[in-house]
Amino acid sequence: MSDRQLTDWRQHALALESEVNKVVVGQSNPIRLITTAIFARGHVLLEGDVGVGKTTLLRAIARGVGGAYQRIEGTIDLMPNDLVYHTYLGEDGKPHVSPGPILEAGEDLSIFFFNEINRARPQVHSLLLRVMAERTLTAFNKEHHFPHMLVFADRNQVEKEETFDIPSAARDRFMMEIPIVVPKDHDIMESLVFDTRFHNVDKLVSGVPENILEYKELNAFSALLQNSVTTSPALRQYALELWQATKSPLDYGVKVSGVDMNRLVLSGASPRGMGMLLRAARVNAWLNNRDAVLPDDIHAVFHETIAHRVVFSPVYEMRRTEIAREMLDGIINVIAAP
Amino acid sequence: MQPSYTTRNAFIHLFTMCLMCFSHQLYAEVKLPSVDDQFVELKLEDPTRDAGYVVGDILNRKITLTIKKPYQLIDESLPIVGYEHRYKGQVSGIELSAINKKTTVNSEGETHVLDLSYQVFKTGRVAKPAALRAEILRLRNTENVKEVVEYRIPSFSFRISPLSVIGQVKLDQEMYPFIPPLTLDSSNVMFRIKLLAGLLGLALLGLLYILGTHAWLPRMGAPFARAYRDIKKMNESPDGIKQAVSRVHESLNKTAGASLFSNNLDVFLIKKPAFAPAKQEIEQFFGLSHQVFFEDSSHKLHHEKPKAWLLSLCKTLRNCERGLVPDIAQGDNT
Repeated sequence: MSDRQLTDWRQHALALESEVNKVVVGQSNPIRLITTAIFARGHVLLEGDVGVGKTTLLRAIARGVGGAYQRIEGTIDLMPNDLVYHTYLGEDGKPHVSPGPILEAGEDLSIFFFNEINRARPQVHSLLLRVMAERTLTAFNKEHHFPHMLVFADRNQVEKEETFDIPSAARDRFMMEIPIVVPKDHDIMESLVFDTRFHNVDKLVSGVPENILEYKELNAFSALLQNSVTTSPALRQYALELWQATKSPLDYGVKVSGVDMNRLVLSGASPRGMGMLLRAARVNAWLNNRDAVLPDDIHAVFHETIAHRVVFSPVYEMRRTEIAREMLDGIINVIAAP
Repeated sequence: MQPSYTTRNAFIHLFTMCLMCFSHQLYAEVKLPSVDDQFVELKLEDPTRDAGYVVGDILNRKITLTIKKPYQLIDESLPIVGYEHRYKGQVSGIELSAINKKTTVNSEGETHVLDLSYQVFKTGRVAKPAALRAEILRLRNTENVKEVVEYRIPSFSFRISPLSVIGQVKLDQEMYPFIPPLTLDSSNVMFRIKLLAGLLGLALLGLLYILGTHAWLPRMGAPFARAYRDIKKMNESPDGIKQAVSRVHESLNKTAGASLFSNNLDVFLIKKPAFAPAKQEIEQFFGLSHQVFFEDSSHKLHHEKPKAWLLSLCKTLRNCERGLVPDIAQGDNT
């Protein structure tokens, strides 16, 4: 029965990927990673410049996943209660309180999209921490549950005015940080500019069939998937060595050009982060029709699940993206499996 | 009165000696015709240098004389050891100290090899000219016993140097003193040089061995050559196969300079195009590695004889690292 379930769900997952790829072109790898995160039940942080299609991608994914989709824009004056409720004067002249974006859909909330998360204050990040970690929220003397919710957030690293760094504790709640870059393929670039199909985002996103996945079944299936895909002792050893190397890369001979490796890493990947890495790797193995995790599955999600968790010395934070990529590449290069 | 026996003997001896001296004088002064050149071939091996000889030195001269029939060498005409040669009444100071003759006879005639050793008994304040005298040999016509002819061996000129230069020498009047360099006994030094050269050679060999990654021949110690030798010693058990697969991984990583996985194989093949012909084999190897290390161990391996296959793979990759094109279609049993 489980084999059949695994096969059926894989077909749905690949169908979702295929449909989203038709709408958002040149982003097959981010789409695969987001699909992986959905089935690993992990939150996703998208990072990229303005106008590269982050929101379009998330809207297309949300449509395919089904369930309720909520969105909020991060601004400097956004406060935590703006996520929970909003007040207004009704037609009757009396004040009214309505549920905010998080509460509005209740348990049907499947995707909560936080646009430009780094513009929000740390108080908002703090609220989000709990929602992401526990999928619950206490409001109006009641605890609200969002069992199917995934948080997709995005930020751009270019603008620094009126922004707040996302603290490492908040970053660690995200399973993946996925970079979205402009495709380099000339034909794709040309079609993005000249093909009018891409100019109307609403119409474009509506091209994705709704409810490709049964979002209410995702949690149960994810548990089944995680139990079905095995990890051998050799792979566990490999993953542990990778973990150790994120903590002390110099011990493994990993060097980054122009960086004092003795001062670079303040903290390596967290146990939660490594757990998420393995969850994502299992999903990747399943998507590739395998019942055991290979090193290749870990590599497929390694950068996106680990890079944002490693805490660097503040002096190197400005170059985080390039340093993290070079360091993690070095770790993959030096650690052998088996 | 009869002369006493002693007196008579002395008289006979004196008479005989006078006769010998007289006859020799007569004999030496007889001018014989020269032999026709067509009957004689001469090959001379004179000393290699013509200067720098001092008193006591020995000069060797080798004369190879081929005499054709009907002529024949008269042995008595050979120079006599110890005979003091004179030139214009003066003793030349060059004395024949040894002579050795070897004769070979054939149908056309005879060949004489004469090894003559002359010793210098002459010195002076300055360098002086000297010569190994021209030896005159006599030949007999065997068909006409009365015909005796002579053949002249050319002389060899050289210079005799003084043992030391004493006083002022007028170079414009005297010859330049060709004094040979003092010959010291260099055998000990030569022995030490040879010994040190041997040690240097060994050290260089050792250095080559170290630089050659502990191998004597180029590429002998390359990763897959070593892996092939190591895997041959491993057994066929599951643990042995695991070891063998690890060993191939190790060699691949060493060759790539980083950990090689199936997902960065293409990058590796771009960097090391010599391995491109074996791409399919390497992919198969990763499949085997996944089975052995990461997948359910209860499943049967795809290869019936994994060790044999791994050895064959190592041979193929060894050829790749040696710059050879592996014959994969035929299993590369080279």
